[in-house]
Amino acid sequence: MIAASAPAQARTQQMPADRLRSGARLLRLEFRHSAMLWLVPLAAGLFWYNAYRPVMAMPALWSLRAPSMQHNALLDFVLPVVGAATWMGSRESRRGTGDLTAIVARPRWTRQLIAWAALTAWALAGYAICVGAVYGVTAAQAAWGGPLWWPAAVGAAGLPALAAIGFAAGTWFPSRFTTPLVSIGTFMLLGFSTQFAHGATSLWQASPTISGVSGIGPDAGVATFYPYLPDLPIAQVMFAVGLAAMVLGTLGLPAASGSRRVRAASAMTAAAGLIAVTTAAGLISTSRFERHGMLAIPALHDAASDRPIAYQPVCGQAAIPVCMNPAFVSYLPVVTSALRPLLTEVAGLPQAPARILQAAPTFSQLSYNDVAVRDAAGIRIIAGARVLLASMPDQLPGERQPDVTSAQYAMQVRAQVGDALVGILVGEGSGQAQQAVRAGLLMASGVRFAGPGFRGDGLGMTLRGPAPGSAVSDAARRFAALPAAARRAWLNSHLTAVRAGRITLGQVP
Amino acid sequence: MSALPAAAAGHGSVRLVRLFLVSRRVAVAVAAVVAVAAGLRVAATWHWDSYGALQLPLVFETGCAIVIAVATASPFGDEEPAAGTWLPALRLGSMLGLTVVSFVALAAAGTGAHLAGGLPDVARNLVGSVGLGLVCAAAFGGWLAWTGPCGYLVVAAYALYAAWHGGATHSPWLWPARPPDNVGAWLCASLVFVAGMALVTVRGARDTA
Repeated sequence: MIAASAPAQARTQQMPADRLRSGARLLRLEFRHSAMLWLVPLAAGLFWYNAYRPVMAMPALWSLRAPSMQHNALLDFVLPVVGAATWMGSRESRRGTGDLTAIVARPRWTRQLIAWAALTAWALAGYAICVGAVYGVTAAQAAWGGPLWWPAAVGAAGLPALAAIGFAAGTWFPSRFTTPLVSIGTFMLLGFSTQFAHGATSLWQASPTISGVSGIGPDAGVATFYPYLPDLPIAQVMFAVGLAAMVLGTLGLPAASGSRRVRAASAMTAAAGLIAVTTAAGLISTSRFERHGMLAIPALHDAASDRPIAYQPVCGQAAIPVCMNPAFVSYLPVVTSALRPLLTEVAGLPQAPARILQAAPTFSQLSYNDVAVRDAAGIRIIAGARVLLASMPDQLPGERQPDVTSAQYAMQVRAQVGDALVGILVGEGSGQAQQAVRAGLLMASGVRFAGPGFRGDGLGMTLRGPAPGSAVSDAARRFAALPAAARRAWLNSHLTAVRAGRITLGQVP
Repeated sequence: MSALPAAAAGHGSVRLVRLFLVSRRVAVAVAAVVAVAAGLRVAATWHWDSYGALQLPLVFETGCAIVIAVATASPFGDEEPAAGTWLPALRLGSMLGLTVVSFVALAAAGTGAHLAGGLPDVARNLVGSVGLGLVCAAAFGGWLAWTGPCGYLVVAAYALYAAWHGGATHSPWLWPARPPDNVGAWLCASLVFVAGMALVTVRGARDTA
């Protein structure tokens, strides 16, 4: 009897438990042989250099560290993950085992999915360790608030999609040049996606490396006073998962991928992925800029997120206490000492507030990607007391590059909060005496002034003041040169008249 | 045994060179380098902010470098060195040739556009990345030679970002973060290039088959 005439052996039906067991065994084999296993240390090294060090150099605020980590971490993982996935995807072709594996029990698509799953699991494990280090250390350092999980989740959702893209590229184009070119192309696309995202509705915001509004970036004033809006992250996760499903599903479409049932399943997976990607893109195109510096997507937005986060302010010791959000407690001594001379001088004067409370900054989008930050300032009656609500300077020391020093920060506080405080006392009128008293008080507290043509120092440490050599400027210098006690005594008796515009420039001592 | 006629020997040499280039996919590598340079040309016409303009050339220089490094992979394994004495010269020639082609392609792509650092920066970064790729080819094999330049790209891109903000001065081993006329950076990049060339010329890419 020759082989061709031998009766075909009846095909035995594999039990579900057996299928599961053999699938698990295949997964275990893929775990052991995944190229990602060897590239996790490279990714971790890149993460340490490029993400951990700069993120940890930032102030210990969740609103700063978590979004920064999302952007940097993904860029550190993209090359190893896409490279390993492309390498694994081209394995059968590279080793010339295509014919050999075509006759094994598992359909080609299933084998590919298992290889992709093992690779993704290694990548996610490495990512979890890296993110865990950042979050663990931040949890120990942060004075207030809890972890922002969405930035970590978006990064995690991006990895399977990257692995799927690499795997598919390796499968379809198994050339030696595919791995490096696809890796570097994906890196470039992700790394520079922030360059292409203009405005609130840009579809580039689907990129998992974008952690917030383009033009703001990680900001201490965002997601500290108001909850972190998960709208954009939800759409990004949906996009990433959909993209992964679409690419993986497409892998199973060729006839060689398996039986008709397998191919139908792969087509449905690809279709579901396409629907998710399209939906996410549609959602992102409806996003709008919120004044708290985040993006809201109407269909995903929870109105409860618009309520400010309740907190017990921490207050410094001064004639007028300065109270801040507990997340900023480490800056309280700098702020208090920067304002102390002015606070000592004006405490108890008519219209003087009982305390100063840090307020949330508000943001508005200008043309292109420019964003204006407005410092809230105004008097509010809280529990019967006059409270001055004032935003602190937008940038904390160590928050971002170019950096501001603590001394510069103190000057910013003196100029910005001091100006708001003096404006409340003296009034916003345009009288010359008002201008002179305002400038004199601020000069005495250490604020620098520049003439009317001054365009700003870029840091907000210098205020625009009266023209040098003008009568107002001379009066302001004279007033600033008075002993603090004499200035305070004069203000005590004349401040109401100054506010009402009944004092002339010549009457200013 | 009589010596081969000169014409036949010459014909054989040409054939040997051609077969070597085919085995290394040099034609595809040249096409890939040209495609990368074309990408740079297209990208250079877009609007970039400071970071983008600064880091963009580095990405394309690395792209060319990894193509060159990957082109070192041999499909023949251990048998190849036993086949003749021309192999080191062929390896050296093909690598040098591809490096020159890459530089010319990148320079042509940057003509009329503003490339941060100019041509000296392109030359130094390309030479350094190629060297790194060749060292990796000798260590891990041609197919995995991209790992070194790609990892270095991430580190160098961040170093460029930090240097632009006036951060700490970086080691000359992070040459992209140094000015184009920095001697230390040139020395380091050249050293890596020479080391990579020497390794691949003498030993070839590691056979990982």
